[in-house]
Amino acid sequence: MNGPIRYLATALFVAFAVLVGAVSYRQVVAADDYRDDPRNLRVAAGRSGRERGLIITADGEIVAASEANPDDPLGFRRTYPYRDLYSHIVGYATLLFGSTGLEETHSADLVSDRDATISGVITAILGGDLRPSGLRLTIDHHLQTVARDALGNQRGAVVALDPATGAVLTMVSTPGFDPNELLGPGTAPIGQALEDDPAEPLLNRATAATYPPGSTFKVITTAAALQSGVASSGTEYPDLVELELPGSTATISNFDGGVCTNGTEVSLADAFTRSCNTIFGMVGMQAGAEALVDAADGFGFNLAVPFDLRTVPSVIPPAASFENDLPGVAQSAIGQRDVQATPLQMAMVAAAVANGGEMMEPYLVQEVFNADGIVEKTTEPVAWRRAVSPATAATLTDLMERVVTAGTGRRAAVPGVRLAGKTGTAEVPGAAPHAWFIGFGPVDAGDAPQIALAVLVESGGDAGESASGGTVAAPIAKAVFSEFFGLGD
Amino acid sequence: MTRNAEAALLVAAALLAAMGVALVNFAGGAGFDAQVALTFLVFLVGFGVVHGALRRWAPEGNPYLFPIAAFLTAIGFTEIYRLDHRLASLQRWSLLVAAVGAALVLFLLRDEGVIVLRRFRYLFLAAAVALLLLPLLPESWPLRGAEVNGSRLWVRLELPFGPRTLSFQPGELAKVFLVVFLASYLADRHLAMAATGRRIGPFGFPQLRRIGPILVAAAASFAVLVYQRDLGASLLLFTLFVTMIYVATGRAAYLFAGALLAAGGGFAAYRLFDHVQQRVFSLLHPFADFTGAGYQIAQSLFAMGSGSLTGSGLGLGRPDLIPAASTDFIFAAVAEEMGFAGSVAVLTGFALLIAAGFGIALRARDVFRKFLAAGLTIVIGVQAIIIIAGVLRLFPVTGITLPFMSYGGSSLLANFVLVALLVRTSHGERS
Repeated sequence: MNGPIRYLATALFVAFAVLVGAVSYRQVVAADDYRDDPRNLRVAAGRSGRERGLIITADGEIVAASEANPDDPLGFRRTYPYRDLYSHIVGYATLLFGSTGLEETHSADLVSDRDATISGVITAILGGDLRPSGLRLTIDHHLQTVARDALGNQRGAVVALDPATGAVLTMVSTPGFDPNELLGPGTAPIGQALEDDPAEPLLNRATAATYPPGSTFKVITTAAALQSGVASSGTEYPDLVELELPGSTATISNFDGGVCTNGTEVSLADAFTRSCNTIFGMVGMQAGAEALVDAADGFGFNLAVPFDLRTVPSVIPPAASFENDLPGVAQSAIGQRDVQATPLQMAMVAAAVANGGEMMEPYLVQEVFNADGIVEKTTEPVAWRRAVSPATAATLTDLMERVVTAGTGRRAAVPGVRLAGKTGTAEVPGAAPHAWFIGFGPVDAGDAPQIALAVLVESGGDAGESASGGTVAAPIAKAVFSEFFGLGD
Repeated sequence: MTRNAEAALLVAAALLAAMGVALVNFAGGAGFDAQVALTFLVFLVGFGVVHGALRRWAPEGNPYLFPIAAFLTAIGFTEIYRLDHRLASLQRWSLLVAAVGAALVLFLLRDEGVIVLRRFRYLFLAAAVALLLLPLLPESWPLRGAEVNGSRLWVRLELPFGPRTLSFQPGELAKVFLVVFLASYLADRHLAMAATGRRIGPFGFPQLRRIGPILVAAAASFAVLVYQRDLGASLLLFTLFVTMIYVATGRAAYLFAGALLAAGGGFAAYRLFDHVQQRVFSLLHPFADFTGAGYQIAQSLFAMGSGSLTGSGLGLGRPDLIPAASTDFIFAAVAEEMGFAGSVAVLTGFALLIAAGFGIALRARDVFRKFLAAGLTIVIGVQAIIIIAGVLRLFPVTGITLPFMSYGGSSLLANFVLVALLVRTSHGERS
């Protein structure tokens, strides 16, 4: 009778030995794999309470900081003093909603390495600095504020760049949101409400949304015509009320439904100044799909923009898709049809023209500094691609300056500063048009332009159906230019 | 003399629980508070009652069983407190009830010992069957069955006062009653059942009518599975039946027949029931359906991996991310916060407990007590192995509690009664 009991006891002890073996495997051998699995919330949870580095603007305003958490003596709490103003740049790092913005893309710099891991303890003993690093942005706080206030309650985006370096001076997307409200427990309903909001406050319209660029795309169409040699700024075109598109019943007409100038002949330069669709339909068809798409690709369309934030590429369909589709070419030439661009992309287009045709990689982080304020890394400007030749850039600058002095972009003009620009009013079927303005300044033989920008007001903003780039977007550009050149109120 | 050692060890366990609660408090930014004192007091009073009963009615009984049980209870309680203060305060009441239950058992058996139970075998069988069937009571009755997480294991009693209901899992106590019945039944029949009827290959098989009980056991276990959708309990009951018959007859043929039946039954269950298929699938591919069926086992693995060698520290991990952390998956929660060291300590505790239990069975001088002690030990050992193996992804996850450690009053009461019976059995040997 005791025999079976002994065998059973042995069997159970063997089973326990197997359990000890399994526990050894799970908790020692394979422990790191389980701990570091991206689906293991403990990694993010362990970081959520840690100190994160400062984020400051170029002019030293603190836009993200960590302070001691009154509810957790070992933990820290993130604060964003300017609430929605930097929400799409800085983003947030939360357990519940994940991470966005620089908090996501620069978390390696921003998160403290202080933890209970053996490597952390050893580094601390060896005198290594485990404190989080901080970021100094390229953003100018005053410019950012002015841009946000100029957009007001309208949905849209403003992106301003330093054309020579690619440094982002301003990046606003409205509406924004207050990342402070997403921190801590019990914020799920707030996050859900933001996600469900039809105004899409979580969307960074500057980098992650594309819109038909409308007439601002004529800068690229003109570049295509100039570069391929089919036209110059003096080339004359018949001034039509309506351009009939070959092989279809579709037509292109001008914004006001009339002729461009006097109904006889009009130069490319005058058509550009007045943003005449009929003429640019012709210019596009004359240059051809190949030249048009090449020019757009030259300006970085269909490419992922290297940037500190997540971006979506701007799009023009491949030239081959326009075979037997001249109407498509004409409509693409005026920035409609399937052409889509982000405000960041169009700001880069303006910046490339301003910079003699050279497109710089945009960047938001100027410096990474350690906890003692010592700069660890500085971002050096990097040329991304050559969009157009210096000669073409000079011609485009000349045309764009006339837009501001005598054309559709007059409302962007700032007294005492020579500016260049291009308006756009992008038709959207069944909705109010998007109002665009892209431009740069100062235009001066001696000095290089210091600022290039793009303004987008979604669905016409407050003006609605009657909106145009010249009336809605250009005044916002003017506010930003005025502040930048020290002429603001 | 040994009872003094027991008293010292029980006080140590009470201190362990109180210190655990204090550590959880520290991690949360608080310090020593009423919870620490209350926990110390409840452990002291609860195990004091048991210890007093042992001194009086089983003075020669094994002095290590209750200290080991107290150690496991303290570890489990600390983790329950860390997960949910409200559950912890309920568990303190359960501890007191369980202690009184164990003392009551010792009191009832004070004169004749466990041997008196042998006479009431069919009463225990009837009670066990009734308890197992209780959850099937209609839900409209004052005493009614209830389904929790897809398994119908619960009984709820509407109390006449207040809006409160009293819930318990009758299956927990039923397994103790079944051990008593089996030990008594087999003590009478084991010789006949061991007689060989015919031989097939190396195995001697008894006559068909003599293996009736094992077929009944298989059928009953399968019925439990079908009606209550509880893989763990049915496996536990089946293992108990088969191993006890093996102990009684010494015939390995019963084990092999049982293994075959279990394999067949398991396969049939797999084919018949979605929830069994789902659990087998999440055993094999825990990350394939990470947000669905595999979530619990994946969280268990994350918890154990994050705990690593020494654990995150009490109150500093995230065992709250594991579904059912305070009940079925308490082992994973302990493994996360107390680490590999804590896991091995718990496994060692159970191993010591079953070692002591089998020791009592080996030393028992009459067959009834031998079978009783072996059966009770098997129940604790197999139950712990099944659920820990599930948590460790060695076996499909089954909804059974980890004795002494999981949150739940029925489980605590049943296991305290079980250990009280074991100690009383050993008392008989020494006097």
